[in-house]
Amino acid sequence: MKRIRITSCGNQLLAQPTSRRPSCLRSPAALQNSCTPHNHRIQSRLQTTAATSDNPFDSLEASATQRSQSSNTSSKPARYPNKQPLVTLPSPHPSAAQHSAKLAALRSRLSLPQRFPLQTLARTLIHPSADPNPAFNNGSLSILGGNLLGYYTTEYLLANYPRLPMAVVFAAQSAYTGPKALATIASEWGIEAAAEPGGEVDPGLLQFKRLRSGDDLPASLRNQRRYKWNVTTTNKVLESDEFGSATQSPSSQQLSTQQVPLEEAAQSFVRALIGSLHLHLGRPLVKRFFRDHFLSRHLDLSTLFDFRTPTRDLSRLCAREGFEAPVARLISETGRLSRHPVFVVGVYSGKDKLGEGAGSSLDEARVRAAAAALKGWYLYRPTEVTVPSSMEGETDQSKWKPNMVDCGEVIV
Amino acid sequence: MSTCKPLFRTLPRQCQRINNLPLTQTRHESTTRRHKKLLHLPESPSYTSTTSEPTLIFNPPSASPNVYHTPSKFLPKDDSRKKLYAAAVKYSTQFAHRTSTPTTSTPGTPLQTTAFLPPKPSSNLPPPIRTPYEKKYHLTDADIAEIRSLRAQDPVYWTRVRLAEKFKCSQFFVGMVAKNHEKSERVAEEHQRARERWGTRRRMAKEDRGRRKELWGQDA
Repeated sequence: MKRIRITSCGNQLLAQPTSRRPSCLRSPAALQNSCTPHNHRIQSRLQTTAATSDNPFDSLEASATQRSQSSNTSSKPARYPNKQPLVTLPSPHPSAAQHSAKLAALRSRLSLPQRFPLQTLARTLIHPSADPNPAFNNGSLSILGGNLLGYYTTEYLLANYPRLPMAVVFAAQSAYTGPKALATIASEWGIEAAAEPGGEVDPGLLQFKRLRSGDDLPASLRNQRRYKWNVTTTNKVLESDEFGSATQSPSSQQLSTQQVPLEEAAQSFVRALIGSLHLHLGRPLVKRFFRDHFLSRHLDLSTLFDFRTPTRDLSRLCAREGFEAPVARLISETGRLSRHPVFVVGVYSGKDKLGEGAGSSLDEARVRAAAAALKGWYLYRPTEVTVPSSMEGETDQSKWKPNMVDCGEVIV
Repeated sequence: MSTCKPLFRTLPRQCQRINNLPLTQTRHESTTRRHKKLLHLPESPSYTSTTSEPTLIFNPPSASPNVYHTPSKFLPKDDSRKKLYAAAVKYSTQFAHRTSTPTTSTPGTPLQTTAFLPPKPSSNLPPPIRTPYEKKYHLTDADIAEIRSLRAQDPVYWTRVRLAEKFKCSQFFVGMVAKNHEKSERVAEEHQRARERWGTRRRMAKEDRGRRKELWGQDA
């Protein structure tokens, strides 16, 4: 004998939901039109934080039926749902998250507290390309998380290295939280991708529509600048994202039902995870998470520089700061007449040594010494730093120490 | 001694004790001792602490200076590291004026030399690679007009080098003031024609050289 599914029957008898606060993405009227009022999945899902433990797994089939009906006939509610499998759902049902071993393992692997619901963790794994419905995919969360990541990284870089040139800031930013870095972090966390998204797939897998090998990238992910355009740093600051990249980061609506590469889906997961952590657990824990998983990655900033005319830059810098003009002096040398000579040259301003470089010709050593001196200037790090986000919500303002703001890089 | 065993084995029993001489071997410095024992040098005392208490031994290998150590001239005025740098300079000055120099290892060992003292503050800086010069700004408008007219009259004779020697200014300044586009294009074409005659090896060598030169400004 088959049990009667009380929950699904009861939901059909429910009244129309009262009008909530209008959502940003859609007007309430549009929401009501597109989602049937008795849709079980949406009813339970709109309260994102509520862990619906009373939702038994066996009611999945029925609710899946209803959701597929509602998506097929969006205008009128389905009265007689016929039995359809979970396959018709674009992404796994939220209540399946409770039973996923992969999600629980991921939560404990990331040392997240038990109060962080698995349903939200499952939602962060659904890319808009798998499920275009903004109530179920991670589009909104990844916007929030991306902004948080950009904020924390930028303030760390600017407070700790106040003299960094803009190009190096861009490079460091993308090295810490750029798309490639986030995709690497996701793979280090052990995120596996589903071959194809669907309602029957384990919710612990990354759900996105894969780009087939040999296909072109979607237009929103492609480089929108012409190849030969000379893009200035000012233009990058004003028009581009925090990485100074050539492409505008596409919105989740643009990517819905498009085929995307794994990197795009993985980075959206990491961003969405940060966003949902911020919503559920609050700022201090997100900052700790950021410090442990992002800032702990080693990045040697001194390798990001690329000086084309270091000697000119250095003499410009000395003139700007009021130091004596730099003079290259030969500290030591060996094998001048041999095949492999080595010269050690120091750049001095007055009696102070600014930098030192070694090379196989006098010119090379001189240029390297000037580059080292410039790096010494740009990589200055104050001893005491108070990042602005550490003072959020503090009533005691005496701990705040103003950070150094430099007048900018040398422009020749 | 293990080295004696084969000798015992090879000796016949009769002649084992012919005389009362002891069966000890003698080795000279020309063999084992020269190779093994003499070269076994005692440890350098600068690396081993004499006291039982934990001490700090700072003896880094020679390497290029760290770019993260900001030179004191580049520090802002209110930085606390300025004081530390000043104290270090003071200490090294005191150290430089000492008369007795410490040795790097115990006297009598082959490694014993006197340690290098820091340079005295009165000592000269290392020699400059190029002779430093002051910018003079001595050319008047009339001079500049003359440079231009000379360059326009005969650009083949009045090259940048000759004009710079005549007016005691830099070649760069001559090029800035009186640039002859025709001649520069002609010279560039000549150079291009010469470059086209290069073979594979020479071209590759030149290209590699350019690539290496780009690295100068990247990894210091």
